[in-house]
Amino acid sequence: MDTVALLLTLRLALVTTGILMVLAVPLAYWLAFTGSRAKVFVQAVCALPIVLPPTVLGFYLLVALGPRTAFGRVLTHLLGHPLAFSFAGLVVGSVIYSLPFAVQPLAAGFAAVDRSMLDAAATLGSGRCDRMLRVVLPLSRGSLVTASVLSFAHTVGEFGVVLMIGGNLPGATRTLSIALYDQVQDFQYAQANRTALFLLGICLVALMLLYSRRPARNARSGDLV
Amino acid sequence: MSDTPSPNPPNRPWLTVHIEHRFHHGGAGFHLHLAFAARAQRTVVFGPSGSGKSSLLRAIAGLLKPELATIQLHGVIVCNTMHGSQPRIFLPAEKRRVGLVMQDPAVFPHLTAAGNVAFALRGTEPSAQKKKVARLLEVVEAETLAERWPRQLSGGQLQRVAIARTLAANPSILLLDEPFAALDAQSRQRISQNLHQWARQRGVPVLTVTHNLEEAFVAGDEVLTLEEGRIMAQGAPEHVLSQERERLLQVLGAVPPPGPVAIPRREK
Repeated sequence: MDTVALLLTLRLALVTTGILMVLAVPLAYWLAFTGSRAKVFVQAVCALPIVLPPTVLGFYLLVALGPRTAFGRVLTHLLGHPLAFSFAGLVVGSVIYSLPFAVQPLAAGFAAVDRSMLDAAATLGSGRCDRMLRVVLPLSRGSLVTASVLSFAHTVGEFGVVLMIGGNLPGATRTLSIALYDQVQDFQYAQANRTALFLLGICLVALMLLYSRRPARNARSGDLV
Repeated sequence: MSDTPSPNPPNRPWLTVHIEHRFHHGGAGFHLHLAFAARAQRTVVFGPSGSGKSSLLRAIAGLLKPELATIQLHGVIVCNTMHGSQPRIFLPAEKRRVGLVMQDPAVFPHLTAAGNVAFALRGTEPSAQKKKVARLLEVVEAETLAERWPRQLSGGQLQRVAIARTLAANPSILLLDEPFAALDAQSRQRISQNLHQWARQRGVPVLTVTHNLEEAFVAGDEVLTLEEGRIMAQGAPEHVLSQERERLLQVLGAVPPPGPVAIPRREK
């Protein structure tokens, strides 16, 4: 198996999951509790990567991050190199592509927290951020695990976005799923089989990890969801 | 938060409320339309289920934003959403210093009883925090429950923890929504006394809502009767009772007995 591609894939999945947890928690909190009219639009934008062909997303990211846009030029100037066809570019693409897999379980978990808990915390002087940190997050630990595992597994399995934005540079942007594609193109079926089995195993283990967790119990009964 | 509530000169209301709010539940609407000023240290709002008692408390606490309202706590406007009023004010619940104990104790399941009581004491020095938690658990006779998790507590014990937790936040007023409902009669009396004593010692006024006639007339220096979102009467318990006797009995579904009504003995 291509160990360089394996390590790159794992690094990409870990970095992406870490960034997603930081970004998705406040976004999901806003989605779960806002009364804003913009909610539907933001929800739809967050869910777009589920239905959008990955190549479409990859294409627009390639354009946005490249020298054709002012944003891309500023970014290239700041970093000293173009973001496209680099590991950082892959991370940006992966974060956007896996966003719904982090935001949706979190938003559902946050929305399921008993409102009376939040009301009680508010009357005890706890502000919005404090309520998120001290009430909502501890009561949504199950959703945090789900969001992390799904984000990780989904990033491991990316293909279209990674190929569009990262190209296929060994050691820099060639992930396992692209290595598998190359192996098939080169008729190296034994190697391709090992890579495919490994990817299959990672995804299966991730899902088994999710489903083996204790079933959620009602927060009011005193246990954590 | 300061340790002492705002001083409240006698006869100056510690709470003035004017609320107009329409709830839409499916096709049927409910209109909360009331105005009153509370001066007595222990004020009780008595009314049947569905009369708007809990909504009134939620509005005072800042958990409900009424369509039109002016609410003042200790002379400070915390809500002003009246037409044409400037500036429009809505102080969020976390900034009102209003202690609210609901019938649903909403004890945090991820914290022990002591952890719940200490929730509002963040930033307090640990040994002082521990002492305060222990003292407040004593007020509600729950000192032995400190290390228990909410799932290990009965309904009555959860309510005690919720009361202690509210007191820990050092509220400037206390709102009680049938907080003793899950307690047996003896515990109810003792904890109610402890709670009112705690409040009296600190000059914290208490507004209790109840549908229990006896509780209304025992635990209130002043009673308001609420029906279908409107205040029907306000005054000293005996005065309200005699004035509203027939109507109250009708609310309770009883036939008015001949002669004077026996007034329950007041708690001193």
